[in-house]
Amino acid sequence: MKKYWYIARNTWDQTFAYRISFVIWRLRSILQVLTLYFLWLVMLPRNATFGGYNQSLMLTYILGTSLINSIVFSSKTFAIADEINEGTLSAYLLRPMNYFSYIFVRDLGDKALNVIFSFVELAILFFLLRPPFFIQTNPMYLTLFLLSVVLSVALYFLFSVLLGFMGFWSRDTWGPRFIFMQLLTFFAGGLFPLDLLPRPVYIVAEALPFTYLLYFPIKIYLGQLSFLQLAQGLFISGVWVLSMYGVVTFVWRRGLRTYAAEGS
Amino acid sequence: MNSISVKHLSKNYLIHKKTAGLLGTAKAMFSRSYETVKAVQDISFEIEEGEMLGFIGPNGAGKTTTLKCLSGLLYPTAGNLSVLDFKPFERKHDFLRQISLIMGQKNQLWWDLPAMDTFLLNKEIYGVSDADFEETLSDLVTRLDVRDLVHTPVRKLSLGQRMKMEIIAALIHSPKVLFLDEPTIGLDVVMQKAIREFLKEYNERYRATIILTSHYMKDVEALCKRVLIINHGKLLYDGLLQSLIKKQAPYKFITVRLKTEVPSGKLAVFGQMKSYTFPEWVTAVPNERAGVVVADILKTFAVEDVSIEEPEIEDVISEIFAEGKGGE
Repeated sequence: MKKYWYIARNTWDQTFAYRISFVIWRLRSILQVLTLYFLWLVMLPRNATFGGYNQSLMLTYILGTSLINSIVFSSKTFAIADEINEGTLSAYLLRPMNYFSYIFVRDLGDKALNVIFSFVELAILFFLLRPPFFIQTNPMYLTLFLLSVVLSVALYFLFSVLLGFMGFWSRDTWGPRFIFMQLLTFFAGGLFPLDLLPRPVYIVAEALPFTYLLYFPIKIYLGQLSFLQLAQGLFISGVWVLSMYGVVTFVWRRGLRTYAAEGS
Repeated sequence: MNSISVKHLSKNYLIHKKTAGLLGTAKAMFSRSYETVKAVQDISFEIEEGEMLGFIGPNGAGKTTTLKCLSGLLYPTAGNLSVLDFKPFERKHDFLRQISLIMGQKNQLWWDLPAMDTFLLNKEIYGVSDADFEETLSDLVTRLDVRDLVHTPVRKLSLGQRMKMEIIAALIHSPKVLFLDEPTIGLDVVMQKAIREFLKEYNERYRATIILTSHYMKDVEALCKRVLIINHGKLLYDGLLQSLIKKQAPYKFITVRLKTEVPSGKLAVFGQMKSYTFPEWVTAVPNERAGVVVADILKTFAVEDVSIEEPEIEDVISEIFAEGKGGE
């Protein structure tokens, strides 16, 4: 549909209206990857292993999560709370289109941009650093990997939208969002593989839905999961997506009843 | 056919109260007090298809709240609303495709992009055909004199230019029902007039139902035969603007330019003295006596010039609001 194309394109144009800000944002994510990359490069010499990871697996984990990160975590949903509080949400409500499709396509536009850039950046890093990268060749693992990334995109989108809906009841939503994002990055496995954690903490982490955002997809790519673990993981993340969808639509309906269309 | 029907509409807001200052903030962290604000209380009215209605009231009277309920943005606390046989709050797409809400201080335009990008997006959202889009857009940009500005990023436009773009974005789909909240705010006199003329023609051409709120009485006078007057959330008057003047102000002003100075005591007998600074003398008399009084004046004094005027609509309305306050 053409309208979705326009939304995505407008999102790009909007981002490029502030080029420097975008470049700095990308720079920040490159620095983040490099920090982790060099940390593990020093800690894990070529022939050593650490918690079951050799150098190649660990560096693949770091670079891989950084790419998934740019697909999953790039989002414009942080703006929802402000849109509610400033009353700009009204403009979307008044037009005959589904609000969820609208914000999802807006996110896809943003994601496409971030993925393209992070792909180019990683390619440059590869060229310069020539890391011992693990390449998965099994088509089943690759397919399931892609499937898990799709589920992860949906799950993160729903979490983030739900945080945005706090705007219906609260003026200040940045504090909770910030704390949530910190916890989320940690429990998603964005800093290091979760199975390096002490056993009890790992069990808690695995029970949380955040593990399906980064850790689960990359483990599939690395081929480190049994068939049972794969099936179970995909099933549970599917259930999470569906139930979060239920929660989000419920909260949306309740929120709209309190919406005051302020700002005028 | 009724295009809009409002029965016993009420809307309350829950407002979180905080006393000013740091101490107030600290207090509010532990115990929050809420207050219910009755923005609209038990309002009923009906509007026919093709009618243009003026909605008048001071700031905070409940005009915007009513418009927001009618366009489906707000969930009414009580009452039944029907717009084009739809319940607004359900916001069915068939309903949204036929209405538009223009708020003078709100925007739907993408701030960093040219207005054209929003127009094109709206074209797709509302499913407007290429031919209709071309025709409507070309008509609108010519009329509002912004043809050269549609490719300029919105943030670089002036307030008035932005307002015009908002109006265009809201009319791309030729809505049947238009809610206009202060559409001429921030515009210069020439543009206010252009917008008024445009709205009048739009109303005639599409038989569109239009509700208009404005602080400029000129807007309402020029466009609306019928007005609703609202204050403190309550409906005070529903009827023709002309009969309002007759009912509320059943008198005329007679302005006389005297040739020679007369003591004010002698003038007072002719009617209610409004002002007198020689040579100009203004007196108010009941409508039906205006002719007789003028004839008397001309007989009694040496007069250079005389004129009879209706009271200003703005004065009449502020009188109503003043009465409303006294009644509480």
